[in-house]
Amino acid sequence: MSACVESAVGPVIEVEDLVACYGNQRILDRVSLTVRQGEIMVIMGGSGSGKSTLLRYLLGLRRPDSGAVRIFGKDIARLSSAEWRELRKKMGVSFQGGALFSSMTVGDNVCMPLREHTRLDEKTIRIMSRMKLEVVNLAGFEHLMPAQLSGGMIKRAALARAIVMDPSVLFFDEPSAGLDPVVAADLDRLILRIRDALRVSIVVVTHELESAFAIADRIALLDHGRILMVGSVDEVQRSDNQRVRNLLTRTSEEQVVDVEEYLCRLTEGVE
Amino acid sequence: MAFPVEDKHGFSVITLKGEVDLKNSPDARKVILNNLKKRRHVLVDLSGVEYIDSSGVASLVEGLQYARSNDLGFSLVGVSEAAMNVLRLARLDQVFRIYASLEDGLHGGG
Amino acid sequence: MACTVAANVHATSLRRVTEAVGRRFVAGVEDFGYGAALLVESLVWIVLGRWLNQRVRLHAIVEEMMSIGVRAIPVVAVLAFANGAMMAMQGIYTLREFGAESRVVAGIAMSVVREFGVLIAGIVVAARSGSAIAARIGTMQISQEIDALRVMGISPVRYLVAPILVAMLIMMPLLTVLSNSLAILGGGAFSVMELHISPDTYLERALAALAIQDLVQSLVKSLVFGVLVTLVATSNGFSAAGGAEGLGRATTRSVVLSISAIVVADMIFTFFLSR
Repeated sequence: MSACVESAVGPVIEVEDLVACYGNQRILDRVSLTVRQGEIMVIMGGSGSGKSTLLRYLLGLRRPDSGAVRIFGKDIARLSSAEWRELRKKMGVSFQGGALFSSMTVGDNVCMPLREHTRLDEKTIRIMSRMKLEVVNLAGFEHLMPAQLSGGMIKRAALARAIVMDPSVLFFDEPSAGLDPVVAADLDRLILRIRDALRVSIVVVTHELESAFAIADRIALLDHGRILMVGSVDEVQRSDNQRVRNLLTRTSEEQVVDVEEYLCRLTEGVE
Repeated sequence: MAFPVEDKHGFSVITLKGEVDLKNSPDARKVILNNLKKRRHVLVDLSGVEYIDSSGVASLVEGLQYARSNDLGFSLVGVSEAAMNVLRLARLDQVFRIYASLEDGLHGGG
Repeated sequence: MACTVAANVHATSLRRVTEAVGRRFVAGVEDFGYGAALLVESLVWIVLGRWLNQRVRLHAIVEEMMSIGVRAIPVVAVLAFANGAMMAMQGIYTLREFGAESRVVAGIAMSVVREFGVLIAGIVVAARSGSAIAARIGTMQISQEIDALRVMGISPVRYLVAPILVAMLIMMPLLTVLSNSLAILGGGAFSVMELHISPDTYLERALAALAIQDLVQSLVKSLVFGVLVTLVATSNGFSAAGGAEGLGRATTRSVVLSISAIVVADMIFTFFLSR
């Protein structure tokens, strides 16, 4: 009830000047980003762009050192663990490798959030989980173990688990990675269908251009830890920014060599 | 929240209103099953529902299943667009008997 | 000139060594702190989980009790029995030279209950469960199942560590009692033959040598060992990274560290308690 009231006002996720460092390396450099209610935001970038790190912050798996992440208007650095738990019930995540619990059947995996967070009747829980398995076309597979599933089925089972609590925001980490194009396109269509039916906001992290263009309302391009641009699919495709063009055509940029700095990089610490 | 039940032409008309979610879907489930257990045909009026989550839909599914295995009527009435979307996602719009209005339901249901 | 260069090299290498030692020390303190935090958090969940509607599942505890305790029974039994018999052999042959072989029964009983019974149980559990737990949690960490738990709002400590801790606290004392009894039995089997005494006499002498404090000491130790294995194994699992190789490293480290922790803790216990 309160979920709808809150999310109707203001953006679902706000990232403000987020800085992330591993050791001395800056992974994210003053990243700011807003995810609006009901949209599909695709965060796109190559490997090393910092997109996976950004996702970890959005999921609250890391606390920001500098800058802020707000989910439904709440600063995640200032939440009590009880508030976090409430917030978690409204978030669904589909991890890159599925992250299904390998010791449980597919059905138990999907039921798990309900069993842990609700006091619904076991019958209701079973029906709910089977409904979600129907949605992802995995009806009848609930008794299998995750190890018995194919890559595409694992992603779909993970999706069923992610939506079983009817979340307000859904996250996908590389949904099409490791899938053949046909299965990947199926998954894209499924994502769109779920958005339309459940009116969730969706954040997708990916490096796949086709998938991004197929599903995105807006795309955020991440490059070397910085947001290069945020815009609709059209805006991104028509951009004449050279680095955006490079990212889209996948040519690696010829970097201007700073002799002094380059030599220093090669020889630093070598005695 | 209690869900009102009315007796009309031999049907128990159960009216769900507002938001049907994890908090009150167990109540809805109880009302539906209790009426079916009294061997009454049930019409569930969803016209006042702004939002129904899957626990709510699951309760409806359980009701339908109970009704069918006991030869009782179980239909939905006035399904809003939002509720219809949720039903459609799992292809449940093809499973439930759905009527546009209470009138239609009372005449055709059972 | 050459002399100063040599001195400089010497100074830098010394500095490197001290730095490395320092880093190791800090890492050690961090590990210790992490273990302590795990322990506190598990205890909080065990005690308060019920009220926070985040209970530690009985089902999970029973499962852990099976894998940690029940399935360890055969190994503990064999090792304890053999160990008791070996102590009897060594004891009888050595003490015979001093003509004190009749004292061997008291010696077996005391050293088994005070020391070796619990040590055998601890080492078996560390070797079996220390690796299994680290491998299981490490696999979950690497395949992002731990992240999945966290984003579902399920505390990995409550879900994974707390049941193990409870199971350890229940099963370790039981295994220790088993280990004590079988070691004394093993010693008896040999002593009865070699010393030509009746089993009754053997048991009588063995029990006469024991005080209730000895048993208490052994049970307290078993609880401490259980906690140590739990913390070492789970924390190594959680810190696993870097694919299959990293998982192997975490598992090995878990076994080595938990056995070392047990033996060192035992030595400290003995130092303070046998004075």
